[in-house]
Amino acid sequence: MKLEVAARLHRPGGFTLDASFRCEAQTVGIVGPSGSGKSTLLDAIAGIEPGSRVVVDGEDMSPRPLHRRNVGYVTQDALLFPHLDVRSNLLFSPRAGPLGDVPAALGIERLLDRMPRNLSGGERRRVALARAILSRPQLLLLDEPFAGLDEARRREAMSLLASLRERFRLPMILVSHVAEEIIGLAEWAVRLEAGQVVRAGPSASVLRAGETRIDNYLTGTVVGDRRVRVDGIELAAAISPGASGDVRLACYAADIILARERPHAISARNCFEAVVRSLTDAEEMVIVEIESPRLRAVVTPQALDELALSPGSPVIVIAKATAFAHVGAA
Amino acid sequence: MNSVEISLTVGVVSTVLSLPLAIAMALYLERTRSRVRHAVQTLIMLPLVLPPVVTGYLLLKVFSPIGPLGRTLAGLGAPVAFHWLGAVIAAAVVGFPLFVLMIALAIKAVDPRFERVSRSLGVSPWRTFWRVTLPLTWPGILAGAAVAFARGLGEFGATIILAGRIPGETQTIPLQIYAELDAPGGERRIVGLVLTACAFCLVCVALSRILDSWYRRRLELDR
Repeated sequence: MKLEVAARLHRPGGFTLDASFRCEAQTVGIVGPSGSGKSTLLDAIAGIEPGSRVVVDGEDMSPRPLHRRNVGYVTQDALLFPHLDVRSNLLFSPRAGPLGDVPAALGIERLLDRMPRNLSGGERRRVALARAILSRPQLLLLDEPFAGLDEARRREAMSLLASLRERFRLPMILVSHVAEEIIGLAEWAVRLEAGQVVRAGPSASVLRAGETRIDNYLTGTVVGDRRVRVDGIELAAAISPGASGDVRLACYAADIILARERPHAISARNCFEAVVRSLTDAEEMVIVEIESPRLRAVVTPQALDELALSPGSPVIVIAKATAFAHVGAA
Repeated sequence: MNSVEISLTVGVVSTVLSLPLAIAMALYLERTRSRVRHAVQTLIMLPLVLPPVVTGYLLLKVFSPIGPLGRTLAGLGAPVAFHWLGAVIAAAVVGFPLFVLMIALAIKAVDPRFERVSRSLGVSPWRTFWRVTLPLTWPGILAGAAVAFARGLGEFGATIILAGRIPGETQTIPLQIYAELDAPGGERRIVGLVLTACAFCLVCVALSRILDSWYRRRLELDR
């Protein structure tokens, strides 16, 4: 997706949003502290706040009102229509076709006849996401979609989003006040402060010092006892006993070790060769992106110097089996 | 028609007739950011604070049989002043502020983001009103209708000025009670009328309460 945004608007309380950026990425992150204008920017992109210029893939969406913009908008409160059951919520959009495999992909196929008040918070968010996907949006906007979830549930939900993005080829804009939470998913990001863009670029470049809890989301197939094949590499992973078929895994970037040579005797169960795809400077650290499988590792600039890594250079990737957490079925 | 029947038909017709306008006004007050909104709100609320006799006098000026509007309506077979329709209009105008207030409260209770989500899913604002706003507010609208009906039922000042006290046509329960005060044997009839009026109003208020708590549950406001 090629995205061009120029949002300028004033709020009666004195808040001014003046944010312009241009990027080409499948998933864009908007990060910044509370009150920095993230949600206002998302409202401007959606067309809820009029007067901003938004161009998606060369198409100027600015003159179109919200109901003709074709954007899926999912907020932290799922906002399921309380008078309609789950099925009617999912089919609410006039653009929605048959349910197809969307409910199964989100694990809500058994909830279709329930009313929203009988769903848990996590279930509601999944239904809201499914409803947005079924409306066949050109762009999916997610405003802190998984805020308030505990760490395990957040990883589960984010990895689900990563697999949905691939499955339904959905460009997304994700908003969060915690940069490291969404960097795992976004390739490109904007950092907002007091209504202004203070940094924009490859997502890792907007990270702050200490923000190292970056996640990797992978999808693979169980091929044996605690073994999962991901992009042609067989990984030892902490998958639940009895799991089979396709599974989603999550792995923190900080749990990945990079080396120039294969170690001889080591307890870590994963050790394979990969290629450095890119290097991004984040404050006091460097994010090394490797392929394949596509993973991000976080290292210090000193370590990077010692390893003499650059894009295209081979590298040995080392990780414990427990670094790859089984977060759900794919 | 006796006064109880007149009161009931006047109350029902005035409530039904003012319903669409009351919904439109409540939506305008709650869902727009227009600068003249406050001026409109003040105007709508006027009949609530004006002495009903003053409201009746102003209505009589507007619908006077010698005025252009009154004459046109009379020509169309719908005379207002000193006719049944006058009682309907008096009840509608006096009950209107409460009706709008109640509906506005019901609309306020619905998170406007539901309407935004609906539009983001490709549903036009007009269809969003029918598919989201109305289904979520109709118990509140009915509660408002019950209160407006009860208010119209008790209307006296504006009715007697605009519609007069014509037995069988415009003499509602309050007007008959007034007439019976110095009529021989009126006391006994007054007791019956007072009990009837009390019963109607009690039912309306109870209905309004039940509907109100039902729609709050529906919107999960009381969870």
